[in-house]
Amino acid sequence: MPATDSSSAATSLGRSFLSLRRDHIPPPSSDHRAASSSDLEIDAFHRHAADLLLDLLSDSDDLLSLAWTRRLLDSFLICLDEFRAVLFGVAAAHQPLDRLLLDFLDRAVKALDLCNALRDGLDLVRQWRKHLAIAASALAPSSSDHHHHQHAPLLGEGQIRRARKALTDLTILMLDDKDAGGVVGQRNRSFGRAGSRDSHSHAHGHHRRSSSGGSSGSGSASHLRSLSWSVSRTWSATRQLQAIGGGLTVPRAHDITATGGLASAVYTMAALLFVVSWALVAAIPCQDRGLQAHLTAVPRSFPWAGPVMTLFDRILDESKKKDRKHSCGLLKEIHQIERCSRQLMEATDAAEFPLAEEKDAEVKEAALELVQVCESLKDGLDPLERQVREMFHRVVRTRTEILDYLSRPHNAG
Amino acid sequence: MAAAGYGREGPAPKPAVDSALRRLGVEKLSIGDVQRLEWEVLEAKIRRWIRAARAAVRGVLASERRLCFLIFHDLPLSSSTNTTAAAGSSHDAPFAEAVKGAALQLFGFAEAISIGRRSPEKLFKIIDLHDAIADLLPDVSDIFAASKAGESIYVQAAEIRSRLADAVRGILSEFENAVLRDPSKTPVPGGTIHPLTRYVMNYSSLISDYKTTLSELIVSRPSACSRIAPEGNETAPSFPDLDLADPDSQLPLAAHLIWIIVVLEHNLESKASLYKDAALSHLFIMNNVHYIAHKVKDSPELRGLIGDEYLKQLTGKFRLAATRYQRTAWLKILNCLRDEGLHVSGGFSSGVSKSALRERFKAFNAAFEEAHRVQSAWYVPDTQLREELRISIAEKLLPAYRSFLGRFRHHIENGRHPELYIKYSVEDLETSVTDFFEGCPPSLHNRRRSHG
Repeated sequence: MPATDSSSAATSLGRSFLSLRRDHIPPPSSDHRAASSSDLEIDAFHRHAADLLLDLLSDSDDLLSLAWTRRLLDSFLICLDEFRAVLFGVAAAHQPLDRLLLDFLDRAVKALDLCNALRDGLDLVRQWRKHLAIAASALAPSSSDHHHHQHAPLLGEGQIRRARKALTDLTILMLDDKDAGGVVGQRNRSFGRAGSRDSHSHAHGHHRRSSSGGSSGSGSASHLRSLSWSVSRTWSATRQLQAIGGGLTVPRAHDITATGGLASAVYTMAALLFVVSWALVAAIPCQDRGLQAHLTAVPRSFPWAGPVMTLFDRILDESKKKDRKHSCGLLKEIHQIERCSRQLMEATDAAEFPLAEEKDAEVKEAALELVQVCESLKDGLDPLERQVREMFHRVVRTRTEILDYLSRPHNAG
Repeated sequence: MAAAGYGREGPAPKPAVDSALRRLGVEKLSIGDVQRLEWEVLEAKIRRWIRAARAAVRGVLASERRLCFLIFHDLPLSSSTNTTAAAGSSHDAPFAEAVKGAALQLFGFAEAISIGRRSPEKLFKIIDLHDAIADLLPDVSDIFAASKAGESIYVQAAEIRSRLADAVRGILSEFENAVLRDPSKTPVPGGTIHPLTRYVMNYSSLISDYKTTLSELIVSRPSACSRIAPEGNETAPSFPDLDLADPDSQLPLAAHLIWIIVVLEHNLESKASLYKDAALSHLFIMNNVHYIAHKVKDSPELRGLIGDEYLKQLTGKFRLAATRYQRTAWLKILNCLRDEGLHVSGGFSSGVSKSALRERFKAFNAAFEEAHRVQSAWYVPDTQLREELRISIAEKLLPAYRSFLGRFRHHIENGRHPELYIKYSVEDLETSVTDFFEGCPPSLHNRRRSHG
């Protein structure tokens, strides 16, 4: 199954998103009766979600950076808390609610597996960072001083070679599953080299997608598959997203009134769960990553409908950009890794030694950028991973609380 | 090894650790996978996991750690270490690298179990899993706590243990609720021990077997108020007033066990009310409460937790039920053998109304036959209790009948068709009583008609 063929995904996605029904579905809280306090709470919940999303959208420069992604998760957790407050605060012992909650819980469990897979993905990015750092340190002056010295020595052939080797390793590591096949079967490449199944063509390659000699006869297992710890070989982020968002239908007016409005709160929370999961899959490398899944026609009466669609659009746009189309993940920092790495390889391509001063300066500048990317990754990866883990915990806790809630006597039958 | 240029990526490539785990039986299951599996299947996997985890943590991972330490302990750390190593000890970066994934995979299964739905049948395996992880935590700490990368493994393992502890508490509550709400639809035939009673008492026995861990985990008494919302006109059960002398019986766990029995009894009352025959209701209660008391007496741990005082209360309850049964079932029959209403005052006859007497005999016969027919199909499973009950019945019935016969038989024998009225000898009755509570209708050839 093709994972990151975002271009075709985009067209089908774009069309579905834009097919918003001008709704003939009544708004979440009916106007023709006096709004009860629970209605107000539920309304506030919807609006707050919309506000948080708008906030995220206003930060368009930073879209899909590590910091932005953390804020996305923050917003999700805030909404989750409010959802709990609304759910447990509004007295309701109505049958349709139980069914809707169980459905929500099913989706929540899917999100848990996703969190684990994402953690693997972030760890992968961490590995990439290490290679970057090796390259950076190969090119660094011998003191730990990052400042540009007037009289720093010219970079030597050995240094350049070491840096290029590290970047080549990185490039291979970052290949998506179209080519990796059985070649990049293990993570610790320095060991793979010894008995090498590596094609020597890679040694020269800054061709990021050079095909290996070996076929993917092993069933097109991506290197991600061999790298992921938490999920099985057949696990697929695409399928997971489809399970999280699939079949999520807008609550019927009858259900909304029968549950005192809670049906729409459950719908909102499930939709938010999907949106956040989708964005995370877009950003972070994971097994069989595909963005085809979508939400079916969200009524405009939900204040968050507009912002959600805008968010989808923005991220999709990003995924369609020429230099991001085949990326393993849309995280801004991943782009930076790719860019810096490419830049440095180009700068050092066919270098002749001793280096000309101009060339030397060029390379050093590229190296500096590399260092900056390393730093931002170092600062940003751990917190994001912690946030993903926090999402895991809170979803588990919410699930436990809801299961508890469902088994209370007045809810029985 | 350093000379061969292995760099900082550890002595054992990930595949080696992976295959070691696989050989130990550690599977790679997603949370979704685990949720979908049947509990029996999961039980077997948990058992296997516990064995595998011990071997993995104490064997594979521990030796990886030692190896890494040996190899890297003496390596000169180059200046580029700061940017390459994970924050924290650089000795451990390669180790943490190689095995972090393996550890995550290992604990992933336990984590998936810890977030599953809470249902009563899971209690004991979850306790097993909890104990296994609690046992391994010190080893995990030794192996992983030294590096920042590995620290998260320890944290996760500790979280899993904590979540399992929560699950234990939750499951116990769930169990108590389930006992309370067990629906009463059809009465169990013969008034015998209800399957719920057996299940609950077996469960309680197991709880007492797991006393060690459970008394650590169960730290609060059952929250009676929030759980028991009376539906309709039912009154809620309340926690009995007990003088808890035993040190064990002061544990919160003990309170839970007593509460479980209280809730069971409460439920049994509803089940008893399904019987149309009030005598059978009492018999049912007698059987079931006796079974409860019996199970408690049989298990030293259970008895120690529940305490002798509550055991006494239980004993009193089933004896009371037995008495009520006898009164309800036999009063009418025994009343046939009363003196009153048989004597005619005044007049110069012997003073006994023959017609009334004949009616009495007929009534007694009919009532007794009915009782015999019906109550032979009732069942008292406990042999001793059955005997005691029969003896108790016989002790009331036989002397009354003997004395009645003695006083009044000649009136009947002097009249016509005495055999219509005096159908049974005392011995006949005695034999018939042995048919009672057998759980099957009396076979025809056991019935004997005596002619005196």
